[in-house]
Amino acid sequence: MNKILWFFLYVPILLLPILVCACGQSGDRSGTEDHNRSFIQLGEFTLQKVSPERIEVRDGAGRRLVLVPKNAPAPGNVDSNRLIRTPVKRVAAYGAFNVSVLKALGVLETTLVGTTYPTEKWHIPEVRNGMKSGKIAFLGSDNSIDFERLDQVQPDLVLTWDRSIIPMLNDLDIPCVITSSTTAMCLNTRMRFVKFLAPFFHREDQARNFFNRVNAALTEIREQTHNAGPPLKVMWGDIYEKRVLVEPGNAWVAELINTLQSDYLFDDVFGTSCIEINVERFLYSGKEADILFTYRTPEQGATSKKALARLNPILSGIRPLNDGKVYAPLPHYAQSYQRLDEILKEIAAILYPKFYKDYALRYFMELPETNPETRRRR
Amino acid sequence: MAVLDTMPIFSYIWKKLAGIHLTIVLCLLLAADLSLGYVCLNRNEILFAPLNDVGLIAWINTYGRCNLKSTAWLLALLVLLTLFCINTFVCTTDRVARLIRHRKKYPRLRLLFRLAPHLMHYALILILTGYLSSYTFARVLDSRTLVPGSSLRLPGTEARIQFQSFSPDYYKGSRMPAFDQHVIRPRARLLLIDGDHHRKAELSYNKPVIFKNYGIFLKDFAPKKKGGGMNSNERIDLTIRKDPGVFLYMLGMLLFTAGIALYLTDWMAPKNGKRRPDE
Repeated sequence: MNKILWFFLYVPILLLPILVCACGQSGDRSGTEDHNRSFIQLGEFTLQKVSPERIEVRDGAGRRLVLVPKNAPAPGNVDSNRLIRTPVKRVAAYGAFNVSVLKALGVLETTLVGTTYPTEKWHIPEVRNGMKSGKIAFLGSDNSIDFERLDQVQPDLVLTWDRSIIPMLNDLDIPCVITSSTTAMCLNTRMRFVKFLAPFFHREDQARNFFNRVNAALTEIREQTHNAGPPLKVMWGDIYEKRVLVEPGNAWVAELINTLQSDYLFDDVFGTSCIEINVERFLYSGKEADILFTYRTPEQGATSKKALARLNPILSGIRPLNDGKVYAPLPHYAQSYQRLDEILKEIAAILYPKFYKDYALRYFMELPETNPETRRRR
Repeated sequence: MAVLDTMPIFSYIWKKLAGIHLTIVLCLLLAADLSLGYVCLNRNEILFAPLNDVGLIAWINTYGRCNLKSTAWLLALLVLLTLFCINTFVCTTDRVARLIRHRKKYPRLRLLFRLAPHLMHYALILILTGYLSSYTFARVLDSRTLVPGSSLRLPGTEARIQFQSFSPDYYKGSRMPAFDQHVIRPRARLLLIDGDHHRKAELSYNKPVIFKNYGIFLKDFAPKKKGGGMNSNERIDLTIRKDPGVFLYMLGMLLFTAGIALYLTDWMAPKNGKRRPDE
């Protein structure tokens, strides 16, 4: 009887430690090979291999989509606009990120049929050439898509961040995938995002190679910077006319900066990429920051610290504009996901130039105190 | 109860399950587990949010199993709550059986008052069972997006939901300048069409619309601020659920209210300065 008493009274007590031990053994298996797993989670995106002929994905809007090979019979219980036949042959893509993921997968030239940037805004030669030859159509800007044009190019799939086009695409019977999420991508998700889109194109091997390359670069950077000395204080964002936007503490850039033994000053901010904060919070961090990464490219006015201060006089008081450094992304930075390993290395080189002597910046530029023209006139 | 009397082992287990010791141990473990849950939930909402859409079993098989470090507390919570429900059921049933056995001792109204706490206990079990069946058996249409003028059909019916307009309330105060012109109450006007029958409804956070036994919930919306910004196109994202658990937890809440009303009536009734003979 005592054993029964013990069982009913104390099993619950034992339950928690056992579960905690189990956790220790399983945990986050992000380092293990994804292709052996039936369920992969990449931030808010998921991929579940239900059977060899059926993969279910959950996109950034939380929509369940079903991927089925072109020659397999259509499953009966799936809406036509949630069913995607693979490999996808024709893609319309919003923005630069989606297009550069296609490039990372090696399917850009063969699949891209429409984009939302005009030819002159592209820095990817395949897209420029495709648009010039008429193979890739300009579908209108992000917020005013020409749906007739979109329908004419007959995409099998639209990659977008804009959820408001879903009802219209449903009417046109074109499936779409929302590639942005309500919380910013962490570093792990950013590095592995290519694995989310890979099954759409049967390019799992390319995705694995890409991830391995970026992962190797990150490991090397970590080793190189692990004795870096006193941490630098970094902020990433900008003040615009009506709002202040920054990268939150859960974003991949913040995680990278913290991983490289520096201090990201918006660690307490949580949410979506390019999140809005109040100006006082920005200026508070600005007092102690060593480095500012602005969102503005030189084309958008970030040509020098003076120019930046002229655009936003309120910025002129922050430390990076006076005693620190300011870096602006070059126009092709946002279109270079396929070179994520180089971008990670470049950010490391900016934070720790002593470890990367003679490194020539390719994706960012350090803003001079004043514009070259101004200096010459003086 | 007679079965328990004839089989001593069952009688013993029944007594132990009804014991206050088990209740105390479970309460302490629940408190510890929920504290652990607070830590695990922090900045990890993306793991738990899909629970509403995919259902408990599918969630355990996917998110739960792959992230045990962060989800073990929830699995433990389910086990602890199940044990807690069993403990409550056995304990309450034990007392109710005893009351019914000695029912002739009490006047009818007195017996009813004495049953009030037990009614609340049964109601609690019913509420928890309702939530469990809600997470296990609910049919969910995940994230459906509508823009003004667009509509969607409820599955298995001819009924449609049309999104007519979005008229949110904006923050206009001066105490929180960071929230100036932000939406503080999103209000989507819907037209619910069932054949010739049309009905208007207003949907907001914490104000779902019930239509043809489906619950329509507002999941997200845009724009979040007057003037828009990057997401300036008006849209609402809906989650639509057909939930068999609703009936159970509504019934549970009703019973709990009835129980507490009886209990308070008894408590507040004049006692003439004397203890009642049955106490």
